[in-house]
Amino acid sequence: MRKKVMKLVVTFHTTSDAMAMEKICKERSVPGRLIPVPRAISAGCGLSWCADLTDREQILDVMKDVGIEQEDVHECLV
Amino acid sequence: MNLSDSKKKLALAGVVCGIVAACLAALGNPANMAFCIACFIRDTAGAMGLHQAEVVQYARPEIIGLVLGAFIISVATKEYRSTAGSSPMIRFVLGVIIMIGALVFLGCPLRMVLRMSAGDLNAWVAFVGFILGVGTGVFALKNGFSLGRAHITNKSSGAVLPAVVVGILILATCTTLFKASQAGPGSMHAPIIASLVGGLVFGAFAQKSRMCFAGSIRDIILMKNFDLISVIAGLFVVMLVFNIATGRFVVGFNTPGVIAHSEHLWNILGMYTVGFAAVLAGGCPLRQLILAGQGSSDSAVTVVGMFVGSAICHNFGLAASGTALNPETKEVVAGAVPVNGKVACIICIVICFIIAFTNKREEAK
Repeated sequence: MRKKVMKLVVTFHTTSDAMAMEKICKERSVPGRLIPVPRAISAGCGLSWCADLTDREQILDVMKDVGIEQEDVHECLV
Repeated sequence: MNLSDSKKKLALAGVVCGIVAACLAALGNPANMAFCIACFIRDTAGAMGLHQAEVVQYARPEIIGLVLGAFIISVATKEYRSTAGSSPMIRFVLGVIIMIGALVFLGCPLRMVLRMSAGDLNAWVAFVGFILGVGTGVFALKNGFSLGRAHITNKSSGAVLPAVVVGILILATCTTLFKASQAGPGSMHAPIIASLVGGLVFGAFAQKSRMCFAGSIRDIILMKNFDLISVIAGLFVVMLVFNIATGRFVVGFNTPGVIAHSEHLWNILGMYTVGFAAVLAGGCPLRQLILAGQGSSDSAVTVVGMFVGSAICHNFGLAASGTALNPETKEVVAGAVPVNGKVACIICIVICFIIAFTNKREEAK
């Protein structure tokens, strides 16, 4: 089984925000990938953006730039 | 115990839910309807007099247990969040649509999987439609579909549906106000206490594992993520073993007694409608009940839509009939979808497309 590592997980208010995040990150070559919101974070079943902890600033910058509002930013094992 | 940190534990949650369904089937629930959200909401609506189909009227304690199980476990583990405000009337319409699609097929996605595990090939045909429906919903998501965000509301708002189902339970057990079928599927049920406990356990495990039939397919298509499907796989395997062990596993299409029909196109389109609408609503019928239990008023509105949808189905002759054995002639009478049901199903698909492609995410200003 793959060993879990600490990652940055950004959650959103809506699924469409997460989809918009994926689109903009692909366009701008921002690192990360779409994952289901980890169960440890939420009982909901939405999508979240997962990246390395070191990518935090770059990710938050691009979100601010395009106006995608995060629900929360977590650090958790993924 | 954390049920969600590995696929094995998620599958275990599915196994527990499968055992609950198998027990309820053994204790008297109708064949291949061991645990069906659409059918049981329809039966409960019938018991309350929302429709007059005499063979499907019974206040199913499983539905009550599911909502309460999710409510109790979410409060106990501090996951209860009272939220509302994400396009409630569109969600109501999606609830109606989900129910119409489900009753054209004759079952919700949960029952589709139970029927698949019993060898019912009609359910396997419908599964194709379900995948296509979820796929269409995912396409809409990729194109910016959104019903808007939900907001935190007063805690009491999210507790309304759990309170209502407690009221239904009290009325069903302490009064004679509710109707109860004397024949047909509505007359076949496990003892009340078993159904209620089964619902509570199923609801608690479904809340913890985030079990969702539409979500599991959505996650595979969108992210190649197989976490949620492992819950469904656990459920399927248990029911498969149960059906084989008890001689209920019969491979075939026109099998009398399993409450199914073999109009392939309408099995596909019925579940296409359910899959499409479920992705737009953010979860399958089971998931809507669980989300409503853990505080989502938006999901509660979808559940109310499903209640009204079931009444519409039976009051306007939309629901399909199952293949049955004529008791006098002993001939097999093929089940069918009535013309009204076919027209309604097409209208529902059109409405899903309108909802999917007219509700867009608001771009940042």
